[in-house]
Amino acid sequence: MSSNNREGILKKLLLRNSKKGRLYSAWIALCIGCTLLLVSVMIWSTFQDILKGKTSQDSLGSTFLTVSKIVDDASMANKERTQIQAQDLVQIKQAPQVQDVGLLTPANFNVSAFMGLGTNTYSTLLFLEAAPDRFMDQMPETWKWQEGDNTIPIILSRDFLNMYNYVFAPSQGLPLLSEQTVMALGFTLTMGEGAHQVNYRAQVEGFSDRISSVLVPQSFIDFGNIKFGANSATTISRVIIKVADPSDKNFTNFLENNHYTTNAEQLRFSKMRSIVEVVSSATGILALLLMAIGALVFILFIELTMAQAEASVQLLLQIGYSPKKLSRFLIRKYIPIMLSALLVAVLIALLIQFFAAQKLSNLQLYIPSIPSVYVWCAVGTSALILLWQINRSIYRAISAS
Amino acid sequence: MQLSIDQLAPIPLQEKLRSRPSDIWLQSIVFSAPEYICVQAPSGTGKTTLIHCLYDLRRDYTGKIFWNHKEINTHTPESLAQLRSQEMSVIFQDMRLFPDLTAWENLELKRSLSDSVKEEEVSEWMNRLGIGDKKNAFAKTLSYGEQQRLAIVRALLQPFSFLLMDEPFSHLDNNNTLVAAALILEVVQRNNAGLLLADLDENNFFPYHKTLLL
Repeated sequence: MSSNNREGILKKLLLRNSKKGRLYSAWIALCIGCTLLLVSVMIWSTFQDILKGKTSQDSLGSTFLTVSKIVDDASMANKERTQIQAQDLVQIKQAPQVQDVGLLTPANFNVSAFMGLGTNTYSTLLFLEAAPDRFMDQMPETWKWQEGDNTIPIILSRDFLNMYNYVFAPSQGLPLLSEQTVMALGFTLTMGEGAHQVNYRAQVEGFSDRISSVLVPQSFIDFGNIKFGANSATTISRVIIKVADPSDKNFTNFLENNHYTTNAEQLRFSKMRSIVEVVSSATGILALLLMAIGALVFILFIELTMAQAEASVQLLLQIGYSPKKLSRFLIRKYIPIMLSALLVAVLIALLIQFFAAQKLSNLQLYIPSIPSVYVWCAVGTSALILLWQINRSIYRAISAS
Repeated sequence: MQLSIDQLAPIPLQEKLRSRPSDIWLQSIVFSAPEYICVQAPSGTGKTTLIHCLYDLRRDYTGKIFWNHKEINTHTPESLAQLRSQEMSVIFQDMRLFPDLTAWENLELKRSLSDSVKEEEVSEWMNRLGIGDKKNAFAKTLSYGEQQRLAIVRALLQPFSFLLMDEPFSHLDNNNTLVAAALILEVVQRNNAGLLLADLDENNFFPYHKTLLL
């Protein structure tokens, strides 16, 4: 007899009580459990991606704060009191939740900008600042400058452009400017005084959500402060810091006690982030629970089928069938069913991730279209745990017969 | 292959065993293949219990049973399956067929375990025992006599060193008994195996080396 015939006879004996309705219900329960688990891991992983600011538009996960000393009545007369000294830096680095600190180096020389649009010309005094590259949320390829270069790349705060377009331009009857237009238009920067005056061409290369400033490469600021600066010592008044959890009470107390100020909205937003993190974790726990219930329903279905075939199993063991042989037969029947539930769950998760990526890209939040490695790890781990559990349940049910 | 029994006494029968002599209960005996043993056992003396203990279907006894020097109740489920499919075969008094399978499926299920007997030979044995036309009949529709002959054929569809039989011909007439016994003997000899038959009365179904009173 071919092994196929034997399989057919064993199927008649062991699976004849396996009702289709029950099988479909167990399959659906397992599939829902797997889907929820994968989607939950996907949500968590995507949220982590956004929080860690892997993308340039990481407004949701901004943990970068610009910190400066509070300007109060006392410090108004004494500029030095608003400067950040070396000992202040050490103190900030050691503050709770602080992961990294970077200096925002200002230009200590006069800068004016000039732009001609047809017959109209516009000019304004300007300030420049530089931040270490590791703190930049925008790093265009052209973000470099060395002595001798006549063009200076600039990254402008997106807030500035918004204020121009929505507040300044309408009130002054000036044209609105899109980001693309601003990036296409060059302007002239004039530095130094008298015979030392030098003109540079400036080009806006990007817009930053992270740092409210007019940013140029650090190399240019270092060069300009020496060449055009009134004195060679550059004073620092603002630092940019990377914080793990800005809503941490210890961190906010540190700022308050040391008279530092920062964007309070960022702190409030971080509380929302903490809440979302808790919700995301709770979703994960709920998903694990549902996955466990789904797996339990499936395993109980197998055990019920086995219990109904107990007399046949007993007789098969009596005529010389080994528990392993019978287990292997049943595992071959149930594993494809289990894997199909997991496969459908993966397909659903893939679709959700794809549509979420499309939807979020409209909100300037960029997430990958395919699930992260964590989701695939969850798929692998779920498959292994389910295989182990099903194998164990079947073997135990047979051995107990 | 050696089957040893040492001071064996089923717990439910222990009271009764003290009041009468037995060649098996509470004795130390060794059977070696190819030895043919008849166990003569009047009703209620534990004939089926003995077969079930030897086949490890029950363990409610004192004393020890060894198959090839290994105590039977120390076998793992896997090694017991190996023993049952390769070393010892059994014909149950209550047949123990799968009622919802056909006669042929009942046999194939056993035969395919070891593949030691060809399908053609199975057909021939069924014909010899007069159940060749019952291949496609469900076991539950067969008469007791037919079921018993089917159980006999099934027991022969594996290699074995000892064949245990519990009243194997109880539902057969003399003629069918002779044919079935001849087939059993032929296959036992081919396997160079021993046999142990438990029955109510003294009989000469096989050329026994020993007849023991239970």
